[in-house]
Amino acid sequence: MIKKIILQATLAICVFFGLWFLLSKIDWLTTLNVKETTKKTEEKLGDIFWDVFKNKDVEVQDSTVKAIVDSLTIRICESNNIKREKLKVHILENNEVNAFALPDGHLVVFTGLIRKADNHQELCGVLAHEIAHIELNHIMKKLIKEAGVSVLISITTGETGGQVIKETAGMLSSSAYDRALEKEADLKAVDYLLNAAIDPQHFAEFLFKMAQNDSSTSDYLTWLSTHPHAEDRAAYLSDYNQNNPKNFTPVIKENTWQKLKTSLED
Amino acid sequence: MTNNTLLLTTPSEHEAEAASNSYLMSLVAFIAGLPLPIINLIATFIFYLGNRKGTYFVRWHCTQALLSQVSMLFINSFGFWWTISILFSDEQISNRYIAYMVVAFLYNLAEFIATIYTAIATRKGKHVSWWFFGDVTNLVCKPV
Repeated sequence: MIKKIILQATLAICVFFGLWFLLSKIDWLTTLNVKETTKKTEEKLGDIFWDVFKNKDVEVQDSTVKAIVDSLTIRICESNNIKREKLKVHILENNEVNAFALPDGHLVVFTGLIRKADNHQELCGVLAHEIAHIELNHIMKKLIKEAGVSVLISITTGETGGQVIKETAGMLSSSAYDRALEKEADLKAVDYLLNAAIDPQHFAEFLFKMAQNDSSTSDYLTWLSTHPHAEDRAAYLSDYNQNNPKNFTPVIKENTWQKLKTSLED
Repeated sequence: MTNNTLLLTTPSEHEAEAASNSYLMSLVAFIAGLPLPIINLIATFIFYLGNRKGTYFVRWHCTQALLSQVSMLFINSFGFWWTISILFSDEQISNRYIAYMVVAFLYNLAEFIATIYTAIATRKGKHVSWWFFGDVTNLVCKPV
């Protein structure tokens, strides 16, 4: 009797796992259009959140500024097989030292952060970090975790009021990712920079500099407050970088960088 | 999934009703308890406790209903918490997840159909012993 029961139990379990294994071989995500739906949801969320920031601050239209930032973005993308057209880089006139990513590849950089950077490599570091968040799908992970799927769906279907959209958008620009996600994005950013022949040490120095200046200008250092433990990060970035010696080449000339700074002063 | 075995004695009207109710209890709890899979197990367990001193026919069917619910609890709980982790953490929908939910659905459907069939059959006084669960029930539920 017991032998029969054990045999039957084994058979039932094997049928269960066997069926699961076989059905796992079907590409359900494509069959059920899950990927397509997810992409459309991301696109819609990206547009909705971008509208919030676009309506709050003025987007920089200066062709010089846009072209220079684009040169930096292109170097990072091309060296890392990232499709440039996937990213939508926006520069907003705002004194806060901040940069953040939104769904569907929107990457927002405040002019305050560009002014705070001492050289273009520092700005490249921040861009690479935000691109890493986009490439690693951190934005949707954060949104689902913080806001929940139901809120996101109601935002895309227009059932949610403007206040919830503003709060959710604000959460993306002014609250931190998990420490693990931040570290993952940091290290990915270093890889991107190394592949693009940009010295990641500048990125580490930017973080260190921000941590040092924290007390005097904390009101404006949003990017630092959303990326805590800056000194720790600067330290592990330096360590990680030491293991990757490489020849570096500037993306833009010094006078081009100064031209960018001057354009932003005007 | 089911096979019929005749009992030595025909159960009374009251016994047949109580035995049938043990399956109906899991069905009603299944509908009411969605999406929490533990609810139908608790409902069936309470019904089992209420009838554990009943006749052999009633006890036997309460036990079979309870055992089937225990096995479904494992399948459904795993699916439930996997879904929760997708909704509220950074877990992503994958082919493995959808495949699991399909298998879980098929097992639930089979159990659902078997439960309805058995509830009707036992109400008519027929003894229905399920594949695997019937043998386990024979092992744990003995005539006094």
